[in-house]
Formats: sequence, C-alpha cells, structure tokens
Amino acid sequence: MKAKHLALFSVLLAVALVLAACPAQPAAPAAQPPAAAEQPAAPGVINLQLMGWASSDAENVRLQEVVDGWNAANPDIQVTLNLVPDYDTKLQTSLAGGAPPDIFYVDSFRLPDLAAAGALLPIGDQMTNVDDFYPSLRDAFTVDGVFYCPPKDFSTLALEYNIDLFDAAGLAHPTADWTWEDLRAAAEALTDKDAGVVGFAINPDFARWIAFLYQAGGEVTTPDFSAMTLNTPEALTAMEFYVGLVRDGVAAPASDLDSGWPGEAFGKARAAMTMEGNWIVPYLKDQFPNLNYGVTELPSGPAGKATMAFTVCYGVAANGRNTEAATKVVDYLTGPVGMKAWTDLGLAMPTRQSLREGWLAMYPELEPFLNGAEYARKWQFRPGFADVLDTINSGLQEAFSGLKTPQQVLEEAQSVGEQVLAR
Amino acid sequence: MATGIKQQDRQDAIAGWLFMTPALFLFAFFVFIPIFFAVYFSFTDWNGISPPTEARFIGAENFRVLLLEDGIRRADFFKALKNTAYFSLGVVPMQTALALLLAVVVNQRRLRFKGFFRTAYYFPSITSSIAISMLFLFLYQRNGLVNQVLQTITFGLWQPIAWMADPRGLFHIIFGWFGLTLETAPDWMRANVLSLPVWDWISGPSVALMGIMLLNTWTTIGTMMVIFLAALQDVPREVYEAAEIDGANGRQIFFSVTLPLLRPTLFFVVTLGLIGTFQVFDQVYVMSAGGPAKTTLTVAYLVYRNGFTNSQMGLAAAIALLLFIIIFTLTLVQRRITEGKKE
Repeated sequence: MKAKHLALFSVLLAVALVLAACPAQPAAPAAQPPAAAEQPAAPGVINLQLMGWASSDAENVRLQEVVDGWNAANPDIQVTLNLVPDYDTKLQTSLAGGAPPDIFYVDSFRLPDLAAAGALLPIGDQMTNVDDFYPSLRDAFTVDGVFYCPPKDFSTLALEYNIDLFDAAGLAHPTADWTWEDLRAAAEALTDKDAGVVGFAINPDFARWIAFLYQAGGEVTTPDFSAMTLNTPEALTAMEFYVGLVRDGVAAPASDLDSGWPGEAFGKARAAMTMEGNWIVPYLKDQFPNLNYGVTELPSGPAGKATMAFTVCYGVAANGRNTEAATKVVDYLTGPVGMKAWTDLGLAMPTRQSLREGWLAMYPELEPFLNGAEYARKWQFRPGFADVLDTINSGLQEAFSGLKTPQQVLEEAQSVGEQVLAR
Repeated sequence: MATGIKQQDRQDAIAGWLFMTPALFLFAFFVFIPIFFAVYFSFTDWNGISPPTEARFIGAENFRVLLLEDGIRRADFFKALKNTAYFSLGVVPMQTALALLLAVVVNQRRLRFKGFFRTAYYFPSITSSIAISMLFLFLYQRNGLVNQVLQTITFGLWQPIAWMADPRGLFHIIFGWFGLTLETAPDWMRANVLSLPVWDWISGPSVALMGIMLLNTWTTIGTMMVIFLAALQDVPREVYEAAEIDGANGRQIFFSVTLPLLRPTLFFVVTLGLIGTFQVFDQVYVMSAGGPAKTTLTVAYLVYRNGFTNSQMGLAAAIALLLFIIIFTLTLVQRRITEGKKE
C-alpha cells in the first residue's frame, strides 16, 4: 500500500517537474507574430527593453528620469530600463538565445565582434543631425564604412595632477603645452622613495600606452586593417618611454602603490600625476573630497597631441521585434534634447558638438576632457582583437617587471596581431 | 508464490524508477543536454553571439588550432595547461597532507574543545569563495597583512611585494639566485616547444598564482578534513588496541595501521582535489582575471575568456572538451597507481 502511494506521489512530482520545466524553454522567436504574446493588456502599446550596466547611483537615477520623460511623452512606446550586473555575459546569452533586449549598450571595443556576428542593426545614419556628433565618436562606431549606432556619451584621457605635491616641490603646474620631456622631468622631481610617492601612476594597460603610441606618431594597424604596424620605430619609442618611466622608478603601477587602480593611488597622494578619464572626477569627489588636484590635457609626444576616446553607444538588435520604435527611442536619447537631459548631470560628456558650449558653461573644470574629443582616437579595432589586448597587457606587465624588453613585447604583439587580422 | 515475488520485484522496480525520475529529468536537462551541445559546438565556429543554429560545422578545426597550429591560441592553451598543472601539483599534495594532519588531530580522543576546532577548520569551506577572494586581495597588497607578518618574522629582511601583480615564476626566482636568467640561459631553453619557450615551461607557479594556491588550499582543507575524519572514525578501536599491545608507537601506528586503512579515502580525496584544481575558476576570476602576464590563466578561465570576451564559443567548447579528457585520463592513471599499491 505504502509503495503505491509513494509511486503515485513520485508520478505527480515528475509531472509537476516537467510542467515547471516547459515554460523555461526559450520560445521560438522567428515564427512568432510581432509583439503578440508578451503583453495582453494595453493593445497598441509597444513595450521596449533597454539593457545596460549599472554605474554610479546618480547616473542610474538620471538615466531612469530621462527614460521616464520619454515614457510620459510617448504613451504608445513604453521603455523599461534594465541595468544588469555581469553585462557582457548577459547580453551575449540573450543575443544567442534569440530574444535580445530591443536597445542595449555597446562598448566601442566590443562593436566589431557584435557587428561581425550580425547582431546590430545599423541605425547611425537615421539619427537627427548626424554630423553634429563628434567625428571621432562617429568613427568609433563605424565598421567598414557603416555607422552602426549613435554614441550615448564618452570619456577621454587627460592628465590629473596633485596641486599640493607640485607646489611643495616648487614645480610649475602642467599645462596643455607639456611635452613628454616635461612629464618625465616632473615625474623625476616628484618621486620621493622614502615617502613612497612616485611621480606618475600608470598601469600595464594597452588602453593607456596606446595614447603614447599615437603621440609618438605610431599606429596599431594600417588604416584598412590589412597589416599590423607595431614593428615601427615610433612604436618602440612609445614603448621605451612608457616602460622606462616605470623601470627608472619615477612611475609605478597601482599595485605597487597599494591601490586597486591608478585613480586610487592618485587619490591617496601616492602618485603626483595619473592619466585617467573623466570617470575619475566623481570618484575623487566621493572618496577623496579634500584632494587638491587639477586636470589638463595629455602631454604632446614627438608627433603631437593624442588621446583616447572611450565611448558607448545605444545599439538596436538586428533581430528585435520593434526595431522601428527602438530606433526612435535611441534618436531621442542621443538627440539634442535627450542628450542634454542626460549629460546635464556633469558625469558624462555630450557627444554632440552643439551642446559643447552650454555644457562647458556648467562644468568649466572638465574642459580638458571635452577638448580631447577634437583629437581623440577611437578604441576600436577588428573582431577578435581581445587577443592583441591581452598580449600587450601581459607584455607590458612583464616589461614593468624587467622580464621582457620593450622590443620583445612589440614583436610578440605584432605577431599575435597578424594572426588575428589573418583570421 | 513465485509470481507473487516477481510481482513484488516489478513493483519495486517501477517505484525505483519513479523515485529516480525527478533527478533524471534534472540531470538530463542540466547535465546531459548541455554536455551534448558543448561537444557539438566544439566542432563548429560558433561565436556565441548569433543564434546557435547559424554555427558552421568545421570538423576538427578547433582542435587543430589548439594542438597543431603554431600561434597565440595554442600558446594560450598550453600556457593555461602549464599554469593549471603547477597549480594542481602544488595544491593537491598540500591540501591532502594538511587535511589528513588536521583530521588526525581533531580525531584525538583526549582533545578538548574538539567541536570548536572541527568547526573552525571547516569554516573556510562553507564561506563564499568570492568573499574570501576579495578579502585575500587586501591581505596580499604590498602593505597588506601577509607582507607585514613576513617582515616581522624575518626581522625586516623580507622585501614587501605586491603578490597579485607579480608575474615572476618560483623556479625562475630560484634559478636567478644561481645566476641563471633568460639572458644567460642556454639556447635550448629559448627554443619553443608547443608554441611556448622551454624557459616558460619551467617557470614554476608565479608569485600571483602561489597566492591563489595558498587561498585555494586553505578553503578546501576543511572539506577534505571532514572526509578523512569520517574515515578515521570508521577504523575500529580494536585495531589500534591490538597494535598498542604489540608495542607499536604512535608513529608506527599512523604509518602502518591508519594510513593503509585510509587508502580508499586517500584515493577519493586526491581525485576530488585533482578535479577541483583542474577546474579552478572563481578565485582566478575575482582575484586576477588571468593576469599578471597570463601567469594565473587557468584552463577553465581560458574557456570563459574565449567564450565570452573573445567571441569564440566553439573554440571554448573545444578547450572544455580537452580539459574533460585530461581530467578523465589523470583520474584513471591515478586510480591505476592507487590500486597497484594494494598488492
């Protein structure tokens, strides 16, 4: 008797499990009529999902306000903002699963991979007054001549310096006219071994060294990506200068300064200078409110000025169900009105040249970052370039430790890059 | 009568299967099917972004790239394999020996606060690995606790190092004491074997990797200790009494009585350790992301990196399959060795 009951119970359990498991199966997206299944209520309303990663609380709240503004003015297109952790993994699985969010953040470095996979709808040229976007930022989201998605905001690298340490050493403050020689001389003068202070905090990071590469007149690849150009004398000059600062003890990576990143070392006054983007400003205000520091443009190298633009765009999924509505929303978010509402907070910089003056009137101290947009280079290469990034990062690390020479690092990066371009 | 028993048997069989059904379903959905797909994808060029149906079948190309073609992908694979092997060679013996030692200690009949010690030693194993990893990041900083302790016990002779940013290999450091560096190394050490210079193969674990090894050992000892403890308590008291009557001392009892009786458990613990170390991922993910200079790049982390940042899910699946084959082979070999000792 007991056995029978148990048997019955387990049958029920098994059935329940199967039933529970079924809806978890991804619905086949291709065969479905558009927007039929999900929203039974409110006919005629298009519901869109905007997925991104969370940043500071202030930014998250402001973005929600901008989205709320759209929702209030457009009852027929309602946008839900979804800020998720572990963004890249989440985006990739939802794309592969065939049910991507309608609009999602795309980092410029990641763009070539997504474009090559056909995941993005090219909507850049459908935006209002496309020429208003900085050319360097449009370039960052252009692959093979196609402008995929409009930039949401951007950051550039600039030189941050500790005013108190400069004054204590009796040095003139850095200016936008500085050269590598000025940087090196100041770093030497500001390094104080006994106090554990170095002149300059730099990490073994391709995304920082590359600014020096461009300042030296070097290039990573030829413009058409047909060949790597890291075997040039210019690249060697940049690598020797960057590594030399660390090997000679006048600069150090964050880990040698008991910090998680150069911004922290700079905040702790363990380094008199560093080169970070405008994200360092809210960080320092929050963590080191009493730090007396200034910002200026990066110094010029043998070939002049250069900085990097790190930027994110609003991508529209190629196989989304409401691409037209999604494009409209993106046009609002990156348009003159939406962009102004989003960047008025002062944490992100407007990607439209027409908003420059108004924004600078509110945040004059951030001008060096915004000026960088004029001559910034894009942080975007080819699909699979993560291999090159990894190789240069680990090569720089080894060069910092004296395990490799700058020449060896470049040779290796050149060879890996050639393999990636040949794929 | 006979039919009655048969009836009973059949009913038992049905009940048995029904009992297993829920687990079998879960197993099929979350283990069998994913494994099947992983094997399938390892023969495709799937990028992990476009729908899987668009993946092209490319035969054994991924395996050729990983094992035969000279290039960055083979270099990374064997670098990861090398790091993982050093990791395993360091952690498995250390964790097994320490766990056995702790188990014997807390198994003593006359030990006071036995419960406290057992809980204390087991605690790291049940704490979140992510939380512990974050904590160790601070301990390993240049002005962190580890360096301070080392400085204190060496009376200031110890030069503080940033543990998690130090790519120098242990053997390289030791070679350096005897004047052997890459510059002075003989030519054959600079030759490439499987896309990696011999000099790199014999690097030993890097300082950063040793940091993770220490952490991993510390977090796994507890579980291994509990397994040993259970086995120790299964050893009948009479065996020990007999040995004592025969005049064996403590050391003799341990090596001639306890250890042989623990052999099956030893095999189990070493196997668990081997599998666990070859799959190490979370601590690498949190503490070093494969750096500095790829010296903490493990095979499991390489799978993740290829799948989710390099858009080469097919290649990632191929590496995962190779990792499975390696672990499987190692376990078989190890079983052969342990069984061989029995005779």
